[in-house]
Amino acid sequence: MQLEDAWRVVVLNDPVNLMSYVVMVFKKVLGFDETKARKHMLEVHEQGRSVVWVGLRETAEAHVFTLQQWHLTAVLESDEAR
Amino acid sequence: MKRVEVKLSLPVVAPLLDVIRELSVDLQKSLAAPQALHDLDQDFRGAWINDLLASQNEDLHALLSLFDGEFFTEGVVAFDESNAEPIVRACTAFRLQLRERRLKTLSDDTLETGEIDMSGLDEEVRKAFMCYLFLATVQELIIQHLDSSIIGS
Repeated sequence: MQLEDAWRVVVLNDPVNLMSYVVMVFKKVLGFDETKARKHMLEVHEQGRSVVWVGLRETAEAHVFTLQQWHLTAVLESDEAR
Repeated sequence: MKRVEVKLSLPVVAPLLDVIRELSVDLQKSLAAPQALHDLDQDFRGAWINDLLASQNEDLHALLSLFDGEFFTEGVVAFDESNAEPIVRACTAFRLQLRERRLKTLSDDTLETGEIDMSGLDEEVRKAFMCYLFLATVQELIIQHLDSSIIGS
């Protein structure tokens, strides 16, 4: 994959969603195991954001849509913007 | 199929349902949490929001259906793998809406920890906060007992 093809799915912190809920959503939507889901949840909670997926735009968009369906604040970022 | 039945106290929960029903009027027309969609073109953005809204409406319907006539006679609600996922999402939609519409006076810390002197709140805020905590409890219950059903579906 070329660098310019890479898109990041970023989840931002919010004060509403329960930690257990965020972990469950990461497992459900992104296929993470418990450990990885908790690691990303804590990253969101403590650092305000976590990059949960990197790859082609079409798949990244699908992940963002599903995360938003679960009411997480998820955004799509181009790797070039880094 | 794993099924969880919960007996609720009608005098406690019934007033909270009034809050939920009031909020559902707005939630049927707009997203619980506005999303940043800067990287999408205008047409795609419209379709995206409409699809999110349609999904949100299905979830709200699942939650509101829990509290039908049977609930008011028996005081029991039941969760299983067919309704757990939409209900747990709808709880979040209502909690986001409560924060936005009814709980602006409370800090994010208070919302996260749930620690507050309830007697110091005025009646409307107290009821909204009780509703916020009730929905979190429903979520915790579902996640604790039906997590594997949701993940696997």
